Amino acid sequence: MDPREELWAAAMRAERRGDAAAYEGLLADIAKTLRALIRGRLARFGMNVDETEDILQEVLIGLHTVRHSWDASRPFLPWLHAIVRYKLSDAVRRRRREARYRYDLTLEEWSYVPAATPEDPDLGLVDLNRHLAELSTGQREVVRALALEGASVRETAQKLKTSEGAVRVTLHRALQRLASIAHLAASRRSKEKT
Amino acid sequence: MSSADTNLMIRSLAREAGMKPGGSVVSFHTALLLGAVLSFASAVMLVFAAFGIPDPATIMGNAAFHHKISSMLAVACGGVFLVRYAGRPGARGLALLTVLPGLALLIAGAISDTSGFPFLGRSEIAVPSCVAAIVALSLLPLVITIFVLKRGVTTRPAVAGATAGVLAGALGAAAYSLVCKNNGGLFVAVWYPTAVLIVVGLGAIIGRRALVW
Repeated sequence: MDPREELWAAAMRAERRGDAAAYEGLLADIAKTLRALIRGRLARFGMNVDETEDILQEVLIGLHTVRHSWDASRPFLPWLHAIVRYKLSDAVRRRRREARYRYDLTLEEWSYVPAATPEDPDLGLVDLNRHLAELSTGQREVVRALALEGASVRETAQKLKTSEGAVRVTLHRALQRLASIAHLAASRRSKEKT
Repeated sequence: MSSADTNLMIRSLAREAGMKPGGSVVSFHTALLLGAVLSFASAVMLVFAAFGIPDPATIMGNAAFHHKISSMLAVACGGVFLVRYAGRPGARGLALLTVLPGLALLIAGAISDTSGFPFLGRSEIAVPSCVAAIVALSLLPLVITIFVLKRGVTTRPAVAGATAGVLAGALGAAAYSLVCKNNGGLFVAVWYPTAVLIVVGLGAIIGRRALVW
């Protein structure tokens, strides 16, 4: 038999005689056991482990409130199990329900959802070509070779009959230019919105 | 929230060691027995009010009536044990067997039925009216029993509500048997339990909400 049965049942009887120290020891013991159990379950169900102490306190308060319902002539552990099981599932159920409300999309929020930017890959390509058009011919050739065709710096240098260093410098300038274009476009979009 | 908070809380809870539970004058067990008697009395009163007081000599001389009321009261006795089981955390499930004598009586009645009464009753509305009457008579007992259960500690609210439904439904059916004119054993064995099961379902639905703490 579980050694805790005798130990904890004795502490429960001591509580009824008004022995606060024994009762505190019992609650602390139970808390230690439950803390590990609750933490494990929360982690397993993908819930917030930080809620462990909250839930633990709910269980302990529940236990304390109904402690008189334990019949001292009957085993303690089955009683404890029933209470803990109920309080735990109650706590988890309530948190699940709250989480559902938190994640729920209200009609009000829905009406403020901004219009989606086009995600069509073909449109993306059109955009890309338009931006590339802003580059100089040399820059465009380097970006096309390196970024779009996936060639190495050496291959690009050989193809364009220039040095590897020159290709790197050109790429760097081209990327700066593209970044500034993208930045401009973004700020123009946000201005249009306001 | 840290474990230090929990330790503080444990210390403050421990200070209440030895305090007597406040407010409860009547224990769960006493409340349960009182509630069952009150439930049956209320259902019988309602039957007399709705259908009139039957002639004692007539119903006492009717073997089918004895079968109906004894089997339903037997189920109700089992129901008392079920409710007691549901209101005590960690009680063993042996109590679930206590409804078997009542069920055995019902089945015996169905098998030994030689009356030739039709399974669907003596009139077209026999089944719906009988089932509806039993459910209606069980509502007050159901409410009483749920209140009784709130004096206990329920760790499975829906199951606890269902056990209240067994007790209330059986008491309602027992009361209805005083005026029921369908004496076929098979009729009783099928439609009485059907009505009780409806009350069990109602009890589970109510219990799920009313018996959380």
